[in-house]
Amino acid sequence: MKKFNKITPEGTKDILFEECLAQRTVSGRLAQVFRMRGYNEVITPGLEYYDVFDAEDAAIPQYEMYKSTDNKGRLIVFRPDLTLPIARLTATRLQSVEKPIRLYYNQPVYRNRKDLSGRSDESTQAGIELLGAAGLRADIEVITAAVDALSACTEHFRLELGNARFFKALADELPVSADRKEDIRLTIESKNYAALGDMLDALEPSLYTEAIRKLPRLFGGAEVFAEAERFCAGHPVLSETLNYMRTLYAALSALGLGDRLMVDFGLVQRNDYYTGVVFSAYVENHGDAVLLGGRYDNLLKQFDAPMPAIGFAADVDALAAVLLDAGAIEAAPTPEVLVHAQHGFEIRAQMVIRELTAQGKICESSVFETAEAARAYAKRRGIPQVIELGGEADV
Amino acid sequence: MKPLRIALTKGRLEKDTVGVLEKIGLDCTQVREKGRRLILPVGNGEIEVVLAKAADVITYVENGVCDLGVVGKDTIMENGSHFFEILDLGFGRCRFALACRKGTDFFGGYKAKTVASKYPNVARQFFESRAMDVRIIKIEGSVELAPLLGLADGIVDIVETGTTLKENGLEVVETIAQISARLIANTASLKMRKREIEALAEKLENCIAKERENA
Repeated sequence: MKKFNKITPEGTKDILFEECLAQRTVSGRLAQVFRMRGYNEVITPGLEYYDVFDAEDAAIPQYEMYKSTDNKGRLIVFRPDLTLPIARLTATRLQSVEKPIRLYYNQPVYRNRKDLSGRSDESTQAGIELLGAAGLRADIEVITAAVDALSACTEHFRLELGNARFFKALADELPVSADRKEDIRLTIESKNYAALGDMLDALEPSLYTEAIRKLPRLFGGAEVFAEAERFCAGHPVLSETLNYMRTLYAALSALGLGDRLMVDFGLVQRNDYYTGVVFSAYVENHGDAVLLGGRYDNLLKQFDAPMPAIGFAADVDALAAVLLDAGAIEAAPTPEVLVHAQHGFEIRAQMVIRELTAQGKICESSVFETAEAARAYAKRRGIPQVIELGGEADV
Repeated sequence: MKPLRIALTKGRLEKDTVGVLEKIGLDCTQVREKGRRLILPVGNGEIEVVLAKAADVITYVENGVCDLGVVGKDTIMENGSHFFEILDLGFGRCRFALACRKGTDFFGGYKAKTVASKYPNVARQFFESRAMDVRIIKIEGSVELAPLLGLADGIVDIVETGTTLKENGLEVVETIAQISARLIANTASLKMRKREIEALAEKLENCIAKERENA
């Protein structure tokens, strides 16, 4: 039988040297940002029950999850997402803890992707969740943490803000079924103007069909608010949401992001799950968002511990690629010293290495039988200094 | 500034796209005289055209190595959608249809049907939406052969005029979707290069609208 013992499963890979270092660097910088802002790290299991991710209005598509069973035949999955396990954990183990709860994580997630699409089935996500806090202050806190996390890796990012309530309120004004609303949402999510137009043309034209038609194009700077004003005025939820977004945008503008801060009213990703502000970030040369987040006030209810919450997840692999592209990560370093010991002087050599490494020098010990072989090795590797112990000079 | 990179589907969509690009005042001489080159500058170098097979246009755009792409709705329906579909370009019109041998009743009876198609995903989705269990067989070449040889009860394929179907004794049972060329954009590119992409899309849209009026 053909054995697959020399390859890794499709969508996975070994991560070596500078790529590995880049990932650790990103993880470290993000952890530093999170920790200093008072967030505490949690590790959730790599395996979870399927039911955790089958939450109403927050379900992960079942075909995207790697599944297996436990020894009692219950369906388990390889963790496909981190917010749901954290909601589970908060609702159970942290019930009596003072709110708000500030948590951060840095763990791989697994998704069963389409074959040969070039995307990874295993990727590392780092992020925070602020649980048990609603309102402007909480939103500003988490979005600012996102800005700081991105800034710790690159200056060249764009952060855009949206709000799930815009689409919800507008879609509620349309005389259509829930399924049709979802179809409409999908066309907005993919900015498919043509299909959206067709669907809306089939409806009685109103202020709200026109507003939805415009929604995918309503992204950019502060000018977007003026455009949105027309259809928001007079509608209680829409005008309140617009005012809120204005306030939030004005507040966040003071962070000095300039045109790197954008608004996108067509940001309707996972709209069933988000209940308020949503945000995502992009960088050059990466075809997808590198950070996604938002407010999800209904999720904890599904775990019988209703509380408002907001958080985000950053794509550590993508940010690591940004550091590598920017040349910010050095290739695996060449040792500065090779220590070779004659027979009987091995421990002495290890003592010397302890001293040198304590001074911050990268040091290898020679595993060769002779000093000649050690010197030849040092030459091949480009190690500038060879220390020989136990030779005539040393005795 | 890096040029805006557009992947075009080689063949007729490429010619039609070049036609529209020229109408909005972009110099496409290099594309017209491309020889065997696959990456070509357009206009004053602010745009770069990449020539690729239809499904590859989607792959390049999805992965962000091309900012924009021109590809048929048929390819989009078959190959997925992690990108923005920002403009219906109007040309390359045809439709997806279910066809079977003339005089047979495809939906009749209780036996599970067999369907041949070059577009198994489109076929699967269509029958799923009808809650019908069908066996789908992927055929690479002339799909019309499958029902004639008795391999399949029907086919799901692209129909333009219907002449090929007619000449082979087949007829359309139902139209599944209308098809035309679409301008697609990478999700991050649309955010990072909003102004350039919107300006280009608007020019193309106006140009197409004007032609529709004249037609």
